[in-house]
Amino acid sequence: MQDNKLLRAFWLILILSFSVSAPCFAQSGADPKPLIDALAKADFSEAERLIGEIALTGDVRAVPALEAFSEGDLYVRKADGLVFIGKAGDDGLELIEPITGVSAGPAPKSALTKIKINNNLRRVISSAAGGLTLLSPDRSVRLSAANAVLSSPSAENLDLVETALAKETDPEVKARMTEARAVSVLSSDRSVDDKRDAIRTIKTIGGNDALSILSAVSGSIDASLKGDLDAALAALQSKQKLWDMAQNVWYGLSLGSVLLLAAIGLAITFGVMGIINMAHGEMVMLGAYSTFMVQDLIRDHAPGLFDWSLTIALPVAFLVTGAVGLVIERAVIRFLYGRPLETLLATWGVSLILQQTIRSIFGPTNQEVGNPSWMSGSFPVGGMTITWNRMWIIVFSLTIFFTLLVVMKKSAYGLSMRAVTQNRRMASSMGIRTPWVDALTFALGSGIAGIAGVALSQIDNVSPNLGQSYIIDSFMVVVFGGVGNLWGTLVGALSLGVLNKFLEPSVGAVLGKILVLVLIILFIQKRPRGLFALKGRAVEA
Amino acid sequence: MAFTAKLGGALLAAVMSTSALSSAYAADTIKVGVLHSLSGTMAISETTLKDVMLMLIEEQNKKGGLLGKKLEAVVVDPASDWPLFAEKARQLISKDKVAAVFGCWTSSSRKSVLPVFEELNSILFYPVQYEGEESSRNIFYTGAAPNQQAIPAVDYLAETEGVKRWVLEGTDYVYPQTTNKILKAYLMSKGVAESDILINYTPFGFSDWQTEVSKIKSFGSAGKKTAVVSTINGDANVPFYKELGNQGIKAKDIPVVAFSVGEEELAGLDTKPLVGHLAAWNYFQSVDAPVNAEFIKEWKAYTKNPKRVTNDPMEAAYIGFNAWVKAVEAAGTTDTDKVLDSIIGVSVPNLSGGYSTVMPNHHITKPVLIGEIQADGQFDIVQQTAQVVGDEWSDYLPDSKNLISDWRKPMACGNFNVASGKCGGKGM
Amino acid sequence: MISGFIFRALEGKIIVAIAVLLGIAVLVPALNLMTAPDSALHIPTYVMSLFGKYLCYALLALALDLVWGYCGILSLGHGAFFALGGYAMGMYLMRQIGPRGVYGNPVLPDFMVFLNYKELPWFWYGMDWFVVAMAMVLLVPGLLAFVFGWFAFRSRVNGVYLSIITQAMTYALMLAFFRNDMGFGGNNGLTDFKDILGFQVQADGTRAVLFALSAVVLALCLLISSAIVRSKFGKVLVGVRDAESRVRFLGFRVENIKLFTFVVSAMMAGIAGALFVPQVGIINPGEFAPANSIEIVVWTAVGGRGTLIGPIIGAVLVNAGKSFFTGAFPEFWLYALGSLFIFVTRFLPRGIVGTVQHGFKARDAMRAAADAEKGRGDIGTVAQTVQAAE
Repeated sequence: MQDNKLLRAFWLILILSFSVSAPCFAQSGADPKPLIDALAKADFSEAERLIGEIALTGDVRAVPALEAFSEGDLYVRKADGLVFIGKAGDDGLELIEPITGVSAGPAPKSALTKIKINNNLRRVISSAAGGLTLLSPDRSVRLSAANAVLSSPSAENLDLVETALAKETDPEVKARMTEARAVSVLSSDRSVDDKRDAIRTIKTIGGNDALSILSAVSGSIDASLKGDLDAALAALQSKQKLWDMAQNVWYGLSLGSVLLLAAIGLAITFGVMGIINMAHGEMVMLGAYSTFMVQDLIRDHAPGLFDWSLTIALPVAFLVTGAVGLVIERAVIRFLYGRPLETLLATWGVSLILQQTIRSIFGPTNQEVGNPSWMSGSFPVGGMTITWNRMWIIVFSLTIFFTLLVVMKKSAYGLSMRAVTQNRRMASSMGIRTPWVDALTFALGSGIAGIAGVALSQIDNVSPNLGQSYIIDSFMVVVFGGVGNLWGTLVGALSLGVLNKFLEPSVGAVLGKILVLVLIILFIQKRPRGLFALKGRAVEA
Repeated sequence: MAFTAKLGGALLAAVMSTSALSSAYAADTIKVGVLHSLSGTMAISETTLKDVMLMLIEEQNKKGGLLGKKLEAVVVDPASDWPLFAEKARQLISKDKVAAVFGCWTSSSRKSVLPVFEELNSILFYPVQYEGEESSRNIFYTGAAPNQQAIPAVDYLAETEGVKRWVLEGTDYVYPQTTNKILKAYLMSKGVAESDILINYTPFGFSDWQTEVSKIKSFGSAGKKTAVVSTINGDANVPFYKELGNQGIKAKDIPVVAFSVGEEELAGLDTKPLVGHLAAWNYFQSVDAPVNAEFIKEWKAYTKNPKRVTNDPMEAAYIGFNAWVKAVEAAGTTDTDKVLDSIIGVSVPNLSGGYSTVMPNHHITKPVLIGEIQADGQFDIVQQTAQVVGDEWSDYLPDSKNLISDWRKPMACGNFNVASGKCGGKGM
Repeated sequence: MISGFIFRALEGKIIVAIAVLLGIAVLVPALNLMTAPDSALHIPTYVMSLFGKYLCYALLALALDLVWGYCGILSLGHGAFFALGGYAMGMYLMRQIGPRGVYGNPVLPDFMVFLNYKELPWFWYGMDWFVVAMAMVLLVPGLLAFVFGWFAFRSRVNGVYLSIITQAMTYALMLAFFRNDMGFGGNNGLTDFKDILGFQVQADGTRAVLFALSAVVLALCLLISSAIVRSKFGKVLVGVRDAESRVRFLGFRVENIKLFTFVVSAMMAGIAGALFVPQVGIINPGEFAPANSIEIVVWTAVGGRGTLIGPIIGAVLVNAGKSFFTGAFPEFWLYALGSLFIFVTRFLPRGIVGTVQHGFKARDAMRAAADAEKGRGDIGTVAQTVQAAE
């Protein structure tokens, strides 16, 4: 027995040294299968140990099982205690043998127990799988493996990374692996010079990632490297500060574009027509619910079209809210022209009814509106992160703005609309059908609020309260920019957005918002008709 | 002109006659008040609880009612308006003569009705997690106190995930502020440096989380394992999680543990980017217990919606209702004083497969569950503690650590000071 | 001119209304306290405190009517003055709790104790004296209105712009009061009051007195308002409403006239808030919500603005409707309220009192005026419409 143990220890050492010098896999005597089956009865800490052992086998065939485990798709068959990968099938689960990848037929869910997973295990798995797949023939697999090692560095992986690095030909993967190696070097027992190089490499990564890696080791690093490390940290930090400024501007523009979206319909109904449209927010909400309906139909009937759902929702939302706007104008508002403060009351009533209607139909809870893939995730620009949905919303709001501007300034309809709002009687005697122009203008404003709702559904709650949260901000933007001036709305929205985002980091979100409101109040004292005031007698009501 | 007087008189008469009318047929049923907002900002959360109460009352009536009488629900709408909560509570107790009231969601609404319940001597069951620091003779707190939610969650993160650095992100109101105060004191007592704790607040209904999320990111890049403890209030959560997902903060890197995000909130979200983020509650729909399976089945049948989810406040309402029923049966009457006596010590099944007991401090015992968000909008339970007794006076706040509450006679005190041995706070 | 006509018509009505209010002030508490609970004449405490609340709202609507109906300033932030008055009263009531709070701290209110306040913030000093607190009820809203109005009216911010910035003001205050660091109890606000001037807040007697006080104060404010609008100053006020530029060119300092009215109105709103708080037992930042301020406008519009009595009736009616619907048909409450707004603006633009006053003839004239207005092409005020009708 004693001998046997010694022998095994000897073998283990041999295997380990072997795997360091030439990791050609499946080389260890250990079969990952029993290790995977042992996961069935393991608690979290035991599972962590087992995953470590699986990684040590160096057997790349274990990777699918590990990944399935990370996804929560690893199951134990109650009958025999064996572990399988389960993929959702027609009824119950489709079982797959771990290692071999052979299908083991379907099984009802009740016959299986899911193996529990938590964040900690996910991290361990990603590191282990990263180590195992560094030599994969598939470029994208290698890249994600390098990223995995980069994000969860460990000295154990170092040899593997170096082997992989030596063989790597793809420049991008190679760069990543170099970084991954540097990160692993820092936590290993390599020489001081190696580590100094590593610090230099990591510094080139830049951004918060590099800061995070370097400050993690700052406590434990060799004293002679302290200077290099601190210098690198300082350089990174000062660079990051500049990027943070840029980031704030970006956030401000992004908030501004949301405000612009919310306010632009109001700039027409309130700014141009003089209706204090308190139901504006509800038009935005209806637009968001239209998006939800479209997505719901697509999910049920044509899941493949999901990425197109927003494109489809745009005209739907425009037509739905435009039609609702038309009805409101014909039924209520047309009797109230020239009495702006009364439109406030009537439209407030309309907004309450619309809210409650939506609540009765869809229920009071949030509805799920998904992001299409092109609006999910982010991409880095230097030291800042730009999320796709924010970027598209900026593009989208500017597109709407300029389209609207062209319609107002260049089209015949825009001309008659401006004529009616400037001098109704004169316009009427020139043969313009003023009631129709009124109705269409209100419908246009509502329709635009509706398509704003499509965009806002991507970043906010879709609930009956959606409109309420934007109505005050929208009015602030229009009033700040100057009633009746579209450019004012654009400048107003963007400057309020940027102002807000510059105040936020220093005074906090709550005080920031209060300060912005106070500044608007003060600004109105200075310029009682907003940034871009209309001139002339027409405004002196 | 005389019509003013007439109008006023007619109005008075109208209100009085409706009150007379509704009390006329009260004799053969036991009335139960349901005080949840059905309109306004809180309707999003509270409407569900109204439905749960109606379902529970219907179920009880199917079982033959209570004390041989049928239960009758009186539903009113306080419309998310705090003074209206007090008015409606008064109406339920004095006009409708209800035996007990189930309701409220926010602490403000509970604070608004508390004097009414004490004055008119009725019973309120409050089913939502709250900041503690309260114990009323007439209120039963079946939701979690901070020690039944926040502290176990932080313990889990520190032990299992090795978290060393904490972001306490909350909405700027009393529950997050108090919870964060307790958590900060707790973390510092565990040796966390003050520089490793970042506290940040945002307004109600906040929707632009870009700055906050990037702040979390940079706070998390100090090389220590970082986690976010979120006490963000309902509405603001969806945009927060969307921003987290889009900025690529994975649970593996910076886990977020939330105290106000349950199955209902997740129903409005695509949870795929959020897998692994956590929540701490006393109940999850995914609890594997026969009693829970049955409850879910009933709920889906009652709402006629196979997609409806269950959540923690629903369980709290369930426990509260059953405890009341049991206490009334034991007392043989719905008389407030008798029920207050008989309910202490009552044990009823909770939905996580165990029993919850009503303690003398009017809080209940329940296990704390930590769950990780799954791609299907449900939670995977990664830890379940033993039964925890709700602690109304936090041990981590200097002025309340000496206080206890025991409503049994002869003490019958909600703020007994163990240091001075007197009832009444500091016991001057 | 319409103004003279309205004043002459109102003269008798004000007296009747004041008499009715004083009658209610005596009768309702008497019926509550002195009759047996099962007697047909008994008014339950629940109904009495409900109507006490309505009377506070009526006073608030009256205050708004003074600036909106007579001076043409549509304030969408009157809820802020109401809430500030309420907070001043609430602070007094909090201090009266003394050592009876749950922590037994004789100085600090409970919320300060568990949020680790070491000492009382400076603005809480003196609030334990009733006189100081009552002064604050008037001064704080008055001062805010003065500062706000001073800038706004001098800069000639008017119409919609003024409405929107008053809304910004109340919204900013709401956010500020939601903050715990403000020292006003955050979103939970101030509650759990024990007694006022040594009398138990919850006792039937105190409630009866508070009710009577609300009615008397409302009558008093009605008298003051009526005196203001019937004086020479009141005539100028209506002039400002109907043709601000003309009044200015006649040599009046329009901004001072507006400022005076705005401050008086804000103080009345503050008093309403102070009476409201002990009767409902809570004040919290929800009262600052812009939606609440819009609701006040609705009460006034429903009752009839520019009539003094209209807003009182409007406030009581709408709130009684709210109490009824939220109890009897919770799901339909918003439909009813929403439809009411639309109905009133569409068919009763003068409000109930205004319409009853003028009868069907006036209604026809209104329609004609509205049509004429639409044809005229510029944005005119309602006042001009009314003028055209007369």
